[in-house]
Amino acid sequence: MPPSPTTYRGTEVAGRIVVGVADIALCDDPSATVVTYALGSCIGVSIYDPVAHVGGLLHFMLPESKINVEKAGQCPAMFADTGVPLLFKGAYELGAKKERLIVVAAGGAEVLADDGHFKVGSRNRTMLRKLFWKNNILLSADDTGGSISRTVILRMSDGEVTVRTKGKERTLWPT
Amino acid sequence: MADIDQILDKVDRLPALPSSVVRVTDMLTSGATDLGEIEQIVRHDEALSMAILRYANSARYGRPGRMFDLKQSIVRLGGKVLLKIVLEQQASAMFVRAGAAYGLRRGALWRGALGGALAADQIARTHDFADKDLCFLCGLLRDVGKLVMDMHFGSEYLSLISKHMQPERTFVECERAAFGFDHAQIGGELAGRWGLPERICKTIRFHHEPPAEAPEHDLLVDIVHAADIICLWAGLAIGYDGLQYKLAPHVRDGLGLDRREAELDVSLTWCRLREIEESMENALVQEHDS
Repeated sequence: MPPSPTTYRGTEVAGRIVVGVADIALCDDPSATVVTYALGSCIGVSIYDPVAHVGGLLHFMLPESKINVEKAGQCPAMFADTGVPLLFKGAYELGAKKERLIVVAAGGAEVLADDGHFKVGSRNRTMLRKLFWKNNILLSADDTGGSISRTVILRMSDGEVTVRTKGKERTLWPT
Repeated sequence: MADIDQILDKVDRLPALPSSVVRVTDMLTSGATDLGEIEQIVRHDEALSMAILRYANSARYGRPGRMFDLKQSIVRLGGKVLLKIVLEQQASAMFVRAGAAYGLRRGALWRGALGGALAADQIARTHDFADKDLCFLCGLLRDVGKLVMDMHFGSEYLSLISKHMQPERTFVECERAAFGFDHAQIGGELAGRWGLPERICKTIRFHHEPPAEAPEHDLLVDIVHAADIICLWAGLAIGYDGLQYKLAPHVRDGLGLDRREAELDVSLTWCRLREIEESMENALVQEHDS
């Protein structure tokens, strides 16, 4: 039997819950901070229920699991189409409600002069939007594109999401 | 503005390449693996011996309930795997603490190095490239110039380069505008000082800007260049430089790299990296428990 989505807890490092690449962390501890570092073309998706104080962060790498079905089975957080459902299911299992969720995304950068050949970041963004559109989920804020690296930090006490780029932090949500 | 030679002369703690790596590199590039000599290298290095034991007794190579001693482990793993372990270990010692100047967390530069080695190996296999081991080695060492930049410029690096950062410029162009040279150039020079073969030095030097035309064109450089981009897409060692790099069109076309193959390489590289990390972590836990 596959593990329950709520088994995704990230790794605790220096008082922070760290979400690695192709990883998810779900959390119901209001004192916690959840972080994922150095998003390039990968996308970090943060969700947060301000009533239940339940949230989570996903760091996915590629848009579609069909590229490597075997690996998607072992590591569903690698892909948008397998990782995003796990993130939401896990949050629901911890008591979050879809209608209250604040959803924020960051990342999806591109290498320069791609000329449409690969567009990994752009395809990640498109797949995410497609999934959200199909499931009636609205993005509360996003910071995607360009060619920069982004670190995303979710504060579980109030759902504040900050993005750090080249050492400078800015609040992404509340907007 | 200091030049590359001045910096390499000046940096006090210039990363030293252990003599064992030079010898192992010789064996890899010549294809003449001497198991007896590898055993001699390994026996004189406690950390290396421990790594060999961990590998041989890990889930990846070992059998449940059976423990192998060092000699058995060496025979079990075989020459090529041993050579790679020696390189991984020695490179790990150089890379693991470095990268702060580039905004990398501890260990990130090392993950990028190993990821580059695995991606280059993956691409070389797909294209049945004869020098697969050389691809692994050059993928591993390609960003060795970042160690020098890290040591020389330290925390000032970001403020120095920030003035020259422009969204349409590649990061190596930004470095050249800021310092007069880039990390790939200084890495190639360092490899030369280490006495590594010219082809390896050139691959390090040109891994971001591979020459398209003969006689400079080399498929080895193309593969390591593509591996570097695969690593970016796999989210490895992304620092202040972000994704400000270009995939050379002649490499893309020459390797026939399309979207599907690129994404497959990304997923396979990342999974192989995790397998290696997990087998090492598990072995460390077993060691700790025993």
